[in-house]
Amino acid sequence: MAKIIDIIQRESCFQPGSTLCAGCMESIAFQNIGKITDNGKKTIFGLGTFCGEVSTLQFPNPVAWGRGESTPEDWTKSFGILHHVFESAPTITEAIRDTVDVLSSVGAIKSDIQTISMSGDGGALAIGLRSLLHTINRQARIVSFVLVNEVFANTGFQYSPSASLGSDTSTTPATELHPGNMQPPLDYLGLAVNAGAGLVAQVSPAFPKYFLKVVETALECKGTAVIFIPSPCITGWKFADGETVELARLSCETGFFPCFLKKKGQPAEIKFVERDAAKRPPVEHFMGPQQRFQHLVRKNKETGQFEVRPGKEAVVEEIRTWIQTKLDALYRMA
Amino acid sequence: MNHPPIIETTAGALYPEAIDLDLVRKAHVPFAEESKIIEADGNTAAAYACLQMWRCMLFAGFPITPSTKWLETVAAVIRSGKVGTKKKLKLLEAEHAVADYLAGASAACRDLIFTTATSSVGLDHMTESTRSLGGSGLGNAMLVNVYRATANYPLCIEGDPSDALAHRDDGWIQFCCRGVQQIYDTVIQLPCLGMHPEVMTPTMPGYYGIKDSHRSSRLVLEADADVNTFQDRWIAPAKLPGLINGDTALGNCVTSQYFQGFKVDQRRRILRAFDLLSVIGADFEKTFGRPGLECIEKIRWPENEEAVDLAIVGMGPDMGTAAALADQWETSIHKRIGVLAARLIHPFPSHEYARILKDAKAILVLNQAHHSGPGHLSVDLAEACYDLQDPPKIISAFAGMGGAALTAETWQVMIDYATHAMKVPTRRVSPIVVHEGKIIWQKS
Ligand SMILES: Cc1ncc(C[n+]2csc(CCOP(=O)(O)OP(=O)(O)O)c2C)c(N)n1
Ligand code: SF4
Repeated sequence: MAKIIDIIQRESCFQPGSTLCAGCMESIAFQNIGKITDNGKKTIFGLGTFCGEVSTLQFPNPVAWGRGESTPEDWTKSFGILHHVFESAPTITEAIRDTVDVLSSVGAIKSDIQTISMSGDGGALAIGLRSLLHTINRQARIVSFVLVNEVFANTGFQYSPSASLGSDTSTTPATELHPGNMQPPLDYLGLAVNAGAGLVAQVSPAFPKYFLKVVETALECKGTAVIFIPSPCITGWKFADGETVELARLSCETGFFPCFLKKKGQPAEIKFVERDAAKRPPVEHFMGPQQRFQHLVRKNKETGQFEVRPGKEAVVEEIRTWIQTKLDALYRMA
Repeated sequence: MNHPPIIETTAGALYPEAIDLDLVRKAHVPFAEESKIIEADGNTAAAYACLQMWRCMLFAGFPITPSTKWLETVAAVIRSGKVGTKKKLKLLEAEHAVADYLAGASAACRDLIFTTATSSVGLDHMTESTRSLGGSGLGNAMLVNVYRATANYPLCIEGDPSDALAHRDDGWIQFCCRGVQQIYDTVIQLPCLGMHPEVMTPTMPGYYGIKDSHRSSRLVLEADADVNTFQDRWIAPAKLPGLINGDTALGNCVTSQYFQGFKVDQRRRILRAFDLLSVIGADFEKTFGRPGLECIEKIRWPENEEAVDLAIVGMGPDMGTAAALADQWETSIHKRIGVLAARLIHPFPSHEYARILKDAKAILVLNQAHHSGPGHLSVDLAEACYDLQDPPKIISAFAGMGGAALTAETWQVMIDYATHAMKVPTRRVSPIVVHEGKIIWQKS
């Protein structure tokens, strides 16, 4: 396991030049993944269509991915990236993996190559759930990152099956009659575990050491490793500048996105979140700073504290119950 | 490998030694040590051709009638160990996944050939990916399209080329074959065309489901060594980097400012196929003594290229029946008849048709696929003949849709209709639908 101080000094294959929003968690995640994968092995990424692709692979903008300062003489920094259709990231990456393996099996490739897929939660859990689950089921030796921002951001922040209860999206708008999305989100961690993934994790760069540990472990995984990265979306969630990492941290501590790691055949590890609701920061702390929950939570002008809007207690209670149920289910795997 | 040889390309650095292709070639275990004559159906012939190529290491598939036997044959041969233990068949969960898989694998290594087979709604299910692949420059992807009617209302599993014809805008090089030998020979030649550095376009050999996929006949199976020597003459190591042997990015987004430039480039590449296919075809003929790739097959045509009165143009095995019946029609209607079978269906070789058909008085076009207008081939032929001084009259007939039999009676009705149309002065002739010797629909 590399030390964080060493990782920080590595080069990242994620370079300046992207058009991701300033304050997007995805660029923080890519920067970190880029450094962790700068480990002496060639890396190939397979991407579906999502913000992390359209904002980083725009011709003729400088492609935001590459080897940075190092020259092509250094094979260990060699880097390839493929974007294919929206839902395809796990499948194309599995194909790349198989091609590497079949060439290695006859000795035609000497060095190992790491193969990584990246999708948004819409790409992986809505249109691409088939692709993700079957790649897991086939035990493809890839690491699949899913950047979970709970919406189809790229097309204008529409509902995605991971959308939190009560969230206002452009297709589940909060109105007088409807309190935002009330469809319980897909249990994607459970699905990935039950499909037989070699490793399933939910982890944020807001917890850098843990993030590093989990990604490095995933890169060593013999089966499919799936890592869900909660990704506060400054434009879609509508929060103030500078709050991205803080919200990512709160998203875990309040139970919306618990840090979770489960290796196949081993008990799960749940981190940075208490099972007991009384010991967790209230959900209002996470919801309050985001306009997508402003129909449910407001800031009390006198106390400066976030509080549930009068008349919305039942909805917020439903959210609390959903979180507790989800946490209990995860703890049962621990 | 810290200081590998590097070739800088417009698409990024290429490491020519990152993949040792010689070792892949050497790992190939021949399926046929020597040329031999066997009996095979179309699907088996197409599968054998793929299995014999050293560049085909990974196969992918999902079953759909009538292409399934291609997949089963690949599975059976690989599992028998006859082609060694290194070739792999990937069974995916849907055709969409198969096409995505081809995209990933073809991009990973541009020097290997990745194949699959599908039909009908299977091809439709792949559309999102096949359209992307069409523009990708990945000429090492090959999809065997076993023609079957598309649409599931009503579902029909028999051969009609509505799948192939609906997918011409996908941007692949599409060839129609008739007969087991032509299927086998086409599959061997197409990667040479698709992977040519000036073409770089994926290829789709196709043939009629049931009528050709399931009908067995004599097949000359060439020795693997000869198949591969032929291909190696045409396929050099790719000049552009793949994901494994390069620093490269594929599938980027572009703004509208650049989109049309990409499309022009795609068109330029596919149009190069017109010239190259006959050169590859001639080399194939010289090597194996059978006709190679050509735009149009003149099944029955005057040797000296003399004009015919009535040219019959269509696709697939039923054109052989037309050629066999043409003698008797010539006697009965006192007109010179020529029969052409379309080989290259995309890009459409308009210039070749115009050259061959310039002196014909009329063209009877056999359309075997549902079309919103007068028929896919009819529209293309009208366009092809547009510049001719005295363009032939185009008579469109639909018959054999859904794989319906084209009986002698059905052909007779079409010939009678064409003969009548040639006599009347009106240029526009209403399309007809013919079934079991009767006109069952005519545009009023
Ligand atoms: C087949 C298909 N349907 C719809 C789209 C339009 N589309 C592109 S990206 C996208 C949303 C992506 O959402 P997600 O995967 O969550 O990633 P995000 O944009 O949030 O990063 C949609 C709907 C598409 N590209 N392809
Ligand atoms: S819209 Fe959201 S996910 Fe997309 S780039 Fe902006 S902050 Fe990131």
